[in-house]
Amino acid sequence: MAERAASREPFVPAVYQPPLPTDRLILKHGSPGAGDRTELDVLIVGAGPAGLACAIELANLAKRGGGAELNIGVLEKAAALGEHCLSGAVVNPRALRELFPGLPDSDFPFRAPVRKEAVYLLTAEGRLRLPTPPTMRNKGNYVASLCEIVRWLGQQAEALGVNVFTGFPAASLLVEGQRVVGVRTAAAGLDRDGRPLANYVAPNDLVAKVTALAEGTRGMLSQAWSEWQQVPAENPQIFALGVKEIWETKRPLDRIVHTLGWPLPRDAFGGSFLYPLAPNLVALGLVVGLDYRDGTLDIHSLFQRMKLHPLFCRYLEGGEMVEWGAKTIPEGGYYSVPARRSGDGVVILGDSAGFVDVPSLKGIHYAVQSGILAARAIFAALRSEQASAVQLAEYDRAVNASFIMQDLYRTRNMRLAFKDGFYTGGLKAGLMTLTGGRFPSRKIAMQPDAAVPRRTGLAGGAGRDEPRVADGTLTFSKVDGVFKSGNTTRDTTPTHLIVGPDVPPDAATFYAHMCPAGVYERVDGTLRVNAPNCVDCKATDILGPRWTPREGGSGPKYKRM
Amino acid sequence: MNDVLAVLEQRERTLRKVSNEVVTGARRLADALGQGGGGARVDALVIAAGTVAGADQLGGFGADKVITLTNPAFGHYAPEGHARVIADRAKAGGYGAVVFAASATGRDLAPRVAARLGVPLAQDITDIAVEGGAVTVVHPVYAGRALLKLKLTARPAIVSLRPNVFTAVQRPRAGSAETAAVDAPVGRVVVTGIKHAAAGALDVAEAAIVISGGRGLREPANFKLLEQLAAAFGGRAAVGASRAVVDAGWRAHADQVGQTGKTVSPTLYIAVGISGAIQHLAGMRTSKVIVAINKDRDAPIFKVADYGVVGDLFEVVPKLTEEIKKLHG
Amino acid sequence: MKIAVCVKRVPDSETRVKIASDGKSLDEAGVKFILNPYDEFAVEEALRRREHAGAGEVVIVSLGPPAAQETIRTALAMGADRGILLQADRVPADGLEVARALGAELKAGAYDLVLFGKMAIDDYNHQVGPMVAELLDLPCVTAIAHLEIAGGKGTAEREIEGGVEVVEFPLPAVLTTDKGLNEPRYPALKGIMAAKKKPLEVKPTALGAGSLEVLALSPPPQRKDGRVVGEGSAAVPELLRLLRDEAKVL
Repeated sequence: MAERAASREPFVPAVYQPPLPTDRLILKHGSPGAGDRTELDVLIVGAGPAGLACAIELANLAKRGGGAELNIGVLEKAAALGEHCLSGAVVNPRALRELFPGLPDSDFPFRAPVRKEAVYLLTAEGRLRLPTPPTMRNKGNYVASLCEIVRWLGQQAEALGVNVFTGFPAASLLVEGQRVVGVRTAAAGLDRDGRPLANYVAPNDLVAKVTALAEGTRGMLSQAWSEWQQVPAENPQIFALGVKEIWETKRPLDRIVHTLGWPLPRDAFGGSFLYPLAPNLVALGLVVGLDYRDGTLDIHSLFQRMKLHPLFCRYLEGGEMVEWGAKTIPEGGYYSVPARRSGDGVVILGDSAGFVDVPSLKGIHYAVQSGILAARAIFAALRSEQASAVQLAEYDRAVNASFIMQDLYRTRNMRLAFKDGFYTGGLKAGLMTLTGGRFPSRKIAMQPDAAVPRRTGLAGGAGRDEPRVADGTLTFSKVDGVFKSGNTTRDTTPTHLIVGPDVPPDAATFYAHMCPAGVYERVDGTLRVNAPNCVDCKATDILGPRWTPREGGSGPKYKRM
Repeated sequence: MNDVLAVLEQRERTLRKVSNEVVTGARRLADALGQGGGGARVDALVIAAGTVAGADQLGGFGADKVITLTNPAFGHYAPEGHARVIADRAKAGGYGAVVFAASATGRDLAPRVAARLGVPLAQDITDIAVEGGAVTVVHPVYAGRALLKLKLTARPAIVSLRPNVFTAVQRPRAGSAETAAVDAPVGRVVVTGIKHAAAGALDVAEAAIVISGGRGLREPANFKLLEQLAAAFGGRAAVGASRAVVDAGWRAHADQVGQTGKTVSPTLYIAVGISGAIQHLAGMRTSKVIVAINKDRDAPIFKVADYGVVGDLFEVVPKLTEEIKKLHG
Repeated sequence: MKIAVCVKRVPDSETRVKIASDGKSLDEAGVKFILNPYDEFAVEEALRRREHAGAGEVVIVSLGPPAAQETIRTALAMGADRGILLQADRVPADGLEVARALGAELKAGAYDLVLFGKMAIDDYNHQVGPMVAELLDLPCVTAIAHLEIAGGKGTAEREIEGGVEVVEFPLPAVLTTDKGLNEPRYPALKGIMAAKKKPLEVKPTALGAGSLEVLALSPPPQRKDGRVVGEGSAAVPELLRLLRDEAKVL
């Protein structure tokens, strides 16, 4: 395909995106190819906050019910709990209180209560303090590390007899008719060309009466199931991409900070956060909606530049960057949550179902709550041996009646309003806040991120003026970031990314900027894929080559993200 | 007593070069132990099937006496026999310390000797001193990310020296030599032979000099420049590669230096056309001396290199090869 | 075939080393612990020998804190039969003390083979295996990268500088394993489930103080700031001069 030099034609990512490989993602139960087969009562895919909360609540219900212990298995693709979990985070404790009634807040794996907070509008050199929007007030909430929360939840789950299998990614759903009966895991020990090595491990089939999909953002099996079952949603799901670092600082931080504006261009939605995990251990990051218009926008570069702003560098100067990571966030809110998140033999939890409230930047307590509600519905359904769609629909009813959907409904258009730009969006969002969501109230229609056209060519982009060379003390290259994510993926694993045919140079450039981990490079007009760099943020699955799971333990090893 | 027993290594009746380092380290320790008065001797011990070439040079490194103990059974390394002979000698001679090289043989032998004598072993040390009459050592741990300082309170103090650290220092000493036959206890563990490595198959992790190339080489054929430079060093150098060029299929994964490849710690590491990403640095950061050649003066590799040359590698490397050839005559 | 494998719980190799406030040990906050990678070769070899012999037992022994039970379970998940934890608050720096404790436990076991990893990736000591062999008066070969066993006798190969040493020895014996001996298996999912039910005996162990004292744990010296020697091929003579006279590596 000839290059459209200095093209004025917008670039539409969807054109070059291969479709979801559903023939691989949905397999008939009994299909050949598996080694071992294990039977469980309940199978949970993903040991994040939603998956583990579901496991814990289920185990407790079984214990209290006095009947037989439930055989519960949780599959986690990371080598150890928490290693693929990343969030800000400022957590609302209400769901953990529900999961562990009687436990005081001080026993929860939080870092510190939020005492002070500030919101700023940043410019290249300065800042303007804004009044904290009501949706962003965090009194009563706690600064936390999601990794630490997940490791703690994991301990609680294992103490209750839950089997947590780390290093086992779920690669396909196993179905019988319309019913989900389990999953097949990915193989391990293949070489670059897909040939088995000496320590090859065949995929495992795990079958259960109910499978709970808690895969986190842009869950693959959740997508496949919703597409297969043609589950409608009012809007497609849309996403943001965040890049985050943790720093040990010389100067203490005593408040949580959020910023809007610079360095994001006005037609991009997002902002930054700066949280103290401890006075001298800060988490900071920059998040941008993936419907950004400038095809050269490079969130990692913008984030590196952002750290040079006085607001940030006064904390970071003299300190040390100890971790780096990236993750996408489902941002569609109320209208993007699928009409049903349950079916025959299956329920969908947490981020995979889209339970994230962008205006308040909250998702963890919704994930935990969805896990609790799912557990209750599953437990009741198991009683009657069937676990049918009708019975599991009780989970949907419970979620719809809970604070999860109430909260999402209230802010249903706030993020969506920003599709028209920062100021218009800000104005609309302000009005929504004032009117408690009543005005403007009609659903704002959105396109999937991949369908949004991007400006290409040399016309000034947010990718301009990036620090040409990272200095290695305050700013870092993508490759160095990947090192700090703890990623030691075997260089010879088969590539897990499905690239569309005939990727033109424009697409290669777009992917290279999009990916925070430097997986994609444009080399002499062609696309070069450095798959081992991938940190599973899923931006690629949303805008570019499709993501599939690699052998267990691949990807980042986050410690306190 | 403050005398030090230095255990040397021989192969095929010739002393291995690392023996010079062992004597140098032993001499340093003996001088420190002897400070209190009375001085201290260094007796060098070599166990072999017969006389060993090079043994008479050791006075030049500070040995007072070289003792060659012979038995036909000691042609190859005989772990149980060596351990017994050395332990008996250490006891009989009342030595204050026994020094080994932390070579493949030394790492095997030193623990046996220590256990026989009922004393601890400080293995693979990079520094040695005497403080308050006790031997103190430094031992790198966590892959060189930290240094452990230890005190040995028992006597004799048994230590093994990391190779290439205690650079052999000429310290002439009027010494003597003696050779004696010893009984070889029947060993259950028998070395039946040594397979020699094929010529040219020097592994990057073993080589004293590593020359690595990155994307700056532009194409696989250009690695020939690095191979020529390696050859100019006369068999001591191996050619390594950054992850980028291995991923591109230019070089074998066995040559990859870096976090997901091999970790190397040569005496001299020359990075050619390599930018210096942390994952590469993680694989060579503990090299003794790092040289970088790159045309981008802002490349991060220059921050970690001891000596840098900013320039076109296609000019610099051939010139370097030419000069090295001259040096080696 | 009855085989014991001694394993150690160690910090993950990617650990950022932070020194604890006592100045002598690692700050363990947030550190991920794993089964010593060299021990994995030992566990794998033991499993293969048991499979090859058709019958036998693989026993995992470790000296360490209570959390080392998890490390033993990892080996059990790979397929070992049972575990023994010699529980002690700290693993002493003195390898001989560790060897004494392990040796006392192994003595009565009548093992055909006792396997160790050649070294631990935290202390880099390369010593406990051969010390245990000496205390138990068993033949020992260290750092093996190839192993054959037939009729109560073994042949091993170990890397030495510039070559490979071929060694013969009788069983029972102590062996320490090096990279290249085998490709350790990933624990199977069923293995992970089964491991929870396999016997793991915990024996509180008192250790001698030893005579190797830790004085300090410190970061490595900062590399001296390097410098750009010059530009282009004109810089080569100066570079060589520095390498020869200043760095003394030529």
